[in-house]
Amino acid sequence: MKTDPTLKSPDDFYERLLNAHRGLTADQSAELNARLILLLANQVGDDQVLADCITAAAKPFTR
Amino acid sequence: MPEDPAVLPVAPVTKVAGVTTGGAYELPVYPFVAPAELRGKIGRHAVVVIGAGLAGLTAACDLALHGVPVVVIDEDNTVGVRGASSRGICYAQKSLEIFKRLGIFERIAARGISWSVGRTLAGNEEVFSFDLKSLPNFDASEQPPFINLQQFYIEWFLVDRIYDLGTVDLRWKSKLVGCEERRDAIALQIETPGGPYEMETQWVIDCSGSHSPLRAILNVPVQTEHVVDRWCISDVRFRTHPPAERWTWIHAPFNDDRAVWQHLMGDDVWRLDYQMAPDADPEQFSQPAIVADRLRRQFGPDIEYELVWIGPYAYRSQCLETFRVGRVFFAGDAAHVMSPFGARGGNSGIQDADNLVWKLALVLEGKAPERLLDSYDAERRPAAHQNIRITTRTARFLSPQAPVDRILRDAVVSLAREYPFARGFVNTGRLSAPTHYVDSPLNVGVGGGRSVQNIALTLPDGQRGDLVALMEYAAYRVLGLITQPIDRYFAQELELLEERYPVRFFRVQFDESEPSPFPTIIDADERLGAELGIDGAGTCLLRPDLHLAGLLADAGAPDIERALRKLLAQT
Repeated sequence: MKTDPTLKSPDDFYERLLNAHRGLTADQSAELNARLILLLANQVGDDQVLADCITAAAKPFTR
Repeated sequence: MPEDPAVLPVAPVTKVAGVTTGGAYELPVYPFVAPAELRGKIGRHAVVVIGAGLAGLTAACDLALHGVPVVVIDEDNTVGVRGASSRGICYAQKSLEIFKRLGIFERIAARGISWSVGRTLAGNEEVFSFDLKSLPNFDASEQPPFINLQQFYIEWFLVDRIYDLGTVDLRWKSKLVGCEERRDAIALQIETPGGPYEMETQWVIDCSGSHSPLRAILNVPVQTEHVVDRWCISDVRFRTHPPAERWTWIHAPFNDDRAVWQHLMGDDVWRLDYQMAPDADPEQFSQPAIVADRLRRQFGPDIEYELVWIGPYAYRSQCLETFRVGRVFFAGDAAHVMSPFGARGGNSGIQDADNLVWKLALVLEGKAPERLLDSYDAERRPAAHQNIRITTRTARFLSPQAPVDRILRDAVVSLAREYPFARGFVNTGRLSAPTHYVDSPLNVGVGGGRSVQNIALTLPDGQRGDLVALMEYAAYRVLGLITQPIDRYFAQELELLEERYPVRFFRVQFDESEPSPFPTIIDADERLGAELGIDGAGTCLLRPDLHLAGLLADAGAPDIERALRKLLAQT
């Protein structure tokens, strides 16, 4: 799992992400996020990296 | 699909027995014959199989072919399950290869339905489809990937075959009520219409299903996981014919947006299986009038049909903590039950029997130590855990419990319509495939534990055949397939090994150009070499259940002997 920055313009990505959610209900946002995770997972295409990302994302919720 | 509702019906959530209607089947009825024990003879047997279901009949038939005398007891006097039209409906390639060896494959192929196209639907739209024929290795085996047929037909064919073989003592209407461990045997107490009796046996194979009485008597620990998901089967005969394809709806408008399976069986009967709401009343859900209404919504108002059987069921996952307790082996549903998705219940019970029988036969013949039998648990319990894990994943996809489960599933379905990558996430059942025993203590070399398909080849007598036929030719010994040169000295060493171990060696050639004094099989299209993973000169040891024990590169006789001793648990 990469932890150093790789995006040239983090602000652009973040803005795009927020814009995509603009005007959606909480349910629709959840659905968009789910679609996005699955699309991105296929781009990553590495089981170990994805497992590490899931662990890192779940860190605040795991004891 | 529930391709294989192995736990049908299940209390307490579904107390409704199946409703058999007009188009039901006529099943054979077998007579109760008073055994010699009821005339005062003390029965001492080599093997007793409890339960004449898929696993039990497979074990009995296979033992008979290995020359082992066997007694089978069953509570009922017919095939199938009383009140249940058919449980398993889908038989996978590995099972079909085993049935080929047992001599009933041709009857299954003639009666059953071979299918290869599957469609996955959501709402009124198809999400995607697949054709098994387009998959690589479709034709590696002499048997097709799947045949659909009502389970009782398979059992019927097995019973016929067993009666033909004439060496199996099939005892109907015989119920196990007790057992007692003796010094060098186990005593079984049996109740029959002719009165109770006792018999002793060296070994017991318990195939008596998910409510095994023996399991309870022996107090074998069981891990159970209950699932809230419930389904209702409606087996139907149509006047008009839907396509011979497997259709699965993740959610269907005609079933209140719940899952539905549509699958063809023998005799033009369709297995329609409807997921019920968690709070649905199974009795109400399976009323013929309600079923009729659902059928009209699914197939149109003018549909003409005949109801064969209706039955609601629930499923659960269950696995024994050990598959062997002393002289008793547990196989099939007595050892493990799982959700029906992917037809893994019945097919894995058949593989349990296939795994155990050759080992038991060798031990009874004095060719291998009893320790070999421990490998049954070492190989088949991990296989059961794997199957349970795979079917549980399907259950979580089809019956999402937490809100986020549903959100993710909806995302998968919406992406799968458009993008091929997302179809891999759609899980309407991962169809039964053989388990490779990669961690088996019997593995001796490269590829050890891998299940090998039934490849066509030319037998040593020049006849066309396949690996199954070669195994018969070799009288169910371990096959030693040799690609390295065999000089006179090596040939003598191999003959010595054949005298001392249950093994038969064959030279593998790609053509007939170099005549060999050694028994030779011809692998003209090099498919056997590819399937075994033979790369260069060496010896490949293949078990009687067509699992690879391993490839030994450039092996000398001492290497082969060492491998054989490991494979037979002699070291």
